[in-house]
Amino acid sequence: MTLQEIVHIYYRVGFGISYAEATILQKESKETIVNELFNASREVKPLAIDISELTAKVKNLNMKDRKKLRSLIKDSTKKVHELNIAWIYKLGNTEQLLREKMTLFWANHFVCQDNNILHIQHYNNTLRKHALGNFKDFVIAISKEASMIKYLNTKQNKKAKPNENFARELMELFTLGRDNYSEKDIKESARAFTGWNHDFMGNFRLRRFQHDTEEKTFFGETGNFDGEDIIDIILKQKQCAKYICEKIYRYFVNDTIDDSRVSEMTTIFFKDYDIENLMRFVLLSDWFYDEKNIGTKIKSPIEFLVGVHRIVPMQFEKPRELIYLQKLLGQHLLFPPNVAGWKGGRNWINPNTMMLRLNLPSVLLANGPISLDEKGEFEDDFQRFNNKRNKQRKLKVLPDWETFHSQQKDVTLKQLQQTIIVSPLNSGTAAYLEKLETQDLKKYSIQLMSLPEYQLC
Amino acid sequence: MNRRNFIKSASLASTALFLPKFVSGFSLLDEAIATGKKLVIIQLSGGNDGLNTIVPFRNDIYYKKRPSLAQQKSNLIGITDEIGFHESLIAHSNLYNNGELCVVNNVGYPNPNRSHFRSTDIWHTASDSNEYLQSGWIGRYLDASKSKSLDAIEVDDTLSLMLKGEQTDGIANKNPALFYKTTQAPYFKKVVEHHNEAHLSEHNLGYLYKTMVTASSSAKYMYETSKTFTTKTTYPNTGFSKQLKQVADFINSGLQTKVYYASLGGFDTHANQVNKQKRLLKVYDEAMEAFVKDLKEQDSFKDTLILTFSEFGRRVQQNAANGTDHGTANQVFLIGNQLKKQGFYNPMADLSNLDTNGDLKYDIDFREIYASVLNNWLDIDAKKVLGKPFSGLNIV
Repeated sequence: MTLQEIVHIYYRVGFGISYAEATILQKESKETIVNELFNASREVKPLAIDISELTAKVKNLNMKDRKKLRSLIKDSTKKVHELNIAWIYKLGNTEQLLREKMTLFWANHFVCQDNNILHIQHYNNTLRKHALGNFKDFVIAISKEASMIKYLNTKQNKKAKPNENFARELMELFTLGRDNYSEKDIKESARAFTGWNHDFMGNFRLRRFQHDTEEKTFFGETGNFDGEDIIDIILKQKQCAKYICEKIYRYFVNDTIDDSRVSEMTTIFFKDYDIENLMRFVLLSDWFYDEKNIGTKIKSPIEFLVGVHRIVPMQFEKPRELIYLQKLLGQHLLFPPNVAGWKGGRNWINPNTMMLRLNLPSVLLANGPISLDEKGEFEDDFQRFNNKRNKQRKLKVLPDWETFHSQQKDVTLKQLQQTIIVSPLNSGTAAYLEKLETQDLKKYSIQLMSLPEYQLC
Repeated sequence: MNRRNFIKSASLASTALFLPKFVSGFSLLDEAIATGKKLVIIQLSGGNDGLNTIVPFRNDIYYKKRPSLAQQKSNLIGITDEIGFHESLIAHSNLYNNGELCVVNNVGYPNPNRSHFRSTDIWHTASDSNEYLQSGWIGRYLDASKSKSLDAIEVDDTLSLMLKGEQTDGIANKNPALFYKTTQAPYFKKVVEHHNEAHLSEHNLGYLYKTMVTASSSAKYMYETSKTFTTKTTYPNTGFSKQLKQVADFINSGLQTKVYYASLGGFDTHANQVNKQKRLLKVYDEAMEAFVKDLKEQDSFKDTLILTFSEFGRRVQQNAANGTDHGTANQVFLIGNQLKKQGFYNPMADLSNLDTNGDLKYDIDFREIYASVLNNWLDIDAKKVLGKPFSGLNIV
C-alpha cells in the first residue's frame, strides 16, 4: 500500500500513524495490514476505574437516608467524569485501535447517558464487548442494560400503561431509521418490552407481573412476543442491515452515501449481522482507498484531540480542563446532546469551533517559545493569552516532546507533513508552508496541526 | 449623532480596516444601517407540556385524563373563568395583562411526527412532515434577504438547522469576548491571508476555509460592538438567563443582527413531571422578565418580537410514571408591544376531539405564524422562504 493509503486507513480505524510505523507497514500487503488490525483488537479489554469505595457505600446504604443517598449520587457523577477522562486516555494509548474506534462509533449509535457510574461503566464495556461481534446479540444486550432501561424509560413501561419511548427509539435510531415502521408497530412492540427492568446493582430483571403476555402483531407477524422476539423480527427487515451499513459508511468511508457501495455492504451484513465481517469487507475493498474517500471527512472533536495526543502525548494536570475542552469543541463523551447523539460531519464546525481547533495545538503544546512565523518572528501570543487574559482558563498540559522526537527520528518535514495531513493542501497554504524557514520538527508539527487541512481525515 | 449611530460608524470603520483584501467578497455589513426589527426565537426543547402550561381548569376531560398531573385551580394564575397560567409564569401573566403577549393555541402541522429530532427539524426547516429539508427557515431567510452570517446568531456553541441556509449559515456564539480572542493569534491571521480563494468551493476543505474567513471577519465586529454596552438589569443566575442577557447586550449595543435563537432544554418529562416542569418554566419566565425589562429600559423592546415554541406538546392522557409522552399540537407565545392581536388568538384545544393516538388535533399550522413574522415583521415575502403560500395570521 502507498504511504497515503496507510495513513488513510489508520486515520479511519484509529487516530493516525507515525511515519516510522507507516514505513514498516508499507512492506506488507493490504490483507496482512487489515488482518493485523483485527488481531490486535481480538481481546476485549474493559475500561475500568476504581469504584470499590463507592460500591462498598452502596452495599451499606439505607435507602431512607436521603442525605447519604444524595452525597452518593454526587460522588457517582464525579466518577462518571473520571470515566470520561480514563476513556480518552485509553483512546490515546490503546493498541486495539479498531475495537476502540468501533466502540466510539457505537457509543454514538446506541446513545445513552447515566450518572450512575456502576451502570454506565458497564454500559460502556458492553459497547466495547460487542463492538465487532454479532449485531443481534448487541441490540439485545444494549436493551437490557440498566442505563438504557433508565435513559429511555423502559422501566416505566408497564403492562397497564405502556411507555413507548424505548420502542420508538429502538426502531428510529438503533435499527431501522425514521419512518420505516408504523405507529402501530411502536405501540405493539412497546407492549413486548413491558416489565423489562433492572436491580440496584444494574442486573437485568424481568418483572413478570408488569409484562404483557398477550398477543401482539408486529410487522405482520402475530404472536406472544417478548422484547427479544421483537428484535429478531426487526432484524429480519433488510432495511435494518441497510440502515446500519449507511451509518458505518458515513462514519468510516464518506459523509456522502454511495448507494451501490452501501448495497454491497448490506448484502454482506444482512446474511449474519456479523460486524467483523462487514468491517473486513469495507477495509479490504478497493473503493475504501478511492481518492474521493481520502482526507475528506471532518474529524470529530475526540478524533482531533486524541489525534494530537498520538503525535505528541499530553498529560492534563487538571482533568477538568480536558472536560472543558470537550464541551467547547462540542463533544463531551458520555454526555451526548440527546438520544440521537452527535450529528457529526459539518455539524462539528462553526466559526467558534473552527477557531478553537485552529488555535488548540498551540495552546496545548506551546510549553516553550514557538516560532511559527515567516522569517523567524517571535510568537508568544498564546502564552500571553493563557497567562494574562484568561487566568481562570489557564490550561495545564504537559506535552511529551521526548516521545515525539524519538518517534520522528530522521524524519523530514515533508514526511512529517505526509503523515500528519492526509488531505490535499490548499495551494496558497502550501506556498505559505514552503516559505516557513523553520527546520524544527516540533514547531512544524504544531503549524501543521493548526491548519484547516488537519481538521480532515 | 446619537450613541447608537456613533457606535455603528465606529465599528464599521474598524471592521473594514481589519479585513484582509480578499475577504471583501464576503463583505460583512449590510449597506443599510441596522435599526430594523429584531426577532428573538426561543425553543423549549424536549416538548413542553402545553396543557399544564396554560390550563383549562374547568375542563372535566383534563382532570379525567390526568388524575395525578392535573393542575388545581388554586395553584394557577387566573386569566379567565376557564383558563389559568401555570404558577411559574408570573412574568408572562403580567405581559398578558399589559397586552404584550399573544398566545396562539393548538399550533401544529398535518401528520405530526412524535420524534424530538424529526419534529424539531420540521419546526426548524418549516417542512411538511414527509419532507426532508437541509436548510432552516431562518437560514433561508438569510439567503432570500441576501443577509450575512452575522444577521442570525444562535446563542450557543453549536449551530442548529434553523439557522443553516442554502448559501449562508448563521453564527453560533455565546461569548463574543472569547470568540474574538481566538482570532487574534498572528499565525492564524497568516493562514487567513495566504490561503488561495480559488479552492473555497472544494468539498469539506472549502467549507472549513470559508468558516475560518467568516469567523475572522465576524468576531471583531461582534466583540467590539457588544462591549460598548453594559446592562443595568440584574438577570437570574441560570444558563438560560445568560443566553438572553447576551441577546439583550447584542441588541442594545446596536449589533446589525436581525434574528437570535436560544433554547432551554429538559422539557421531555416522561416521568415525575410536576416539579421538573415547574422549575423549568420558572427559569424560562424569570429570564424573560429580566430580558423584557432590559429591552424596555433601552427602548429596544418596541423593535423586538419574541417567539417561543416547543417541538411538540405532550399526550393528553398522563402515563404511569406521573409524566406524559410525546404528543402533537402546542401553544406558541409571541411577546412584543406591537402585536396586532393581544391575549388569546384562538380558543384552547378541544380535548374531546383527539386523534387515534389520543393526541390533540392542531388548529393552526405553525408556518402560518412564520409567514406572518416574515411578511409583517422581517419584511420579506414569506413564500420565498417557506416555498409554499401561507396566508398568515393577523398577529404582528
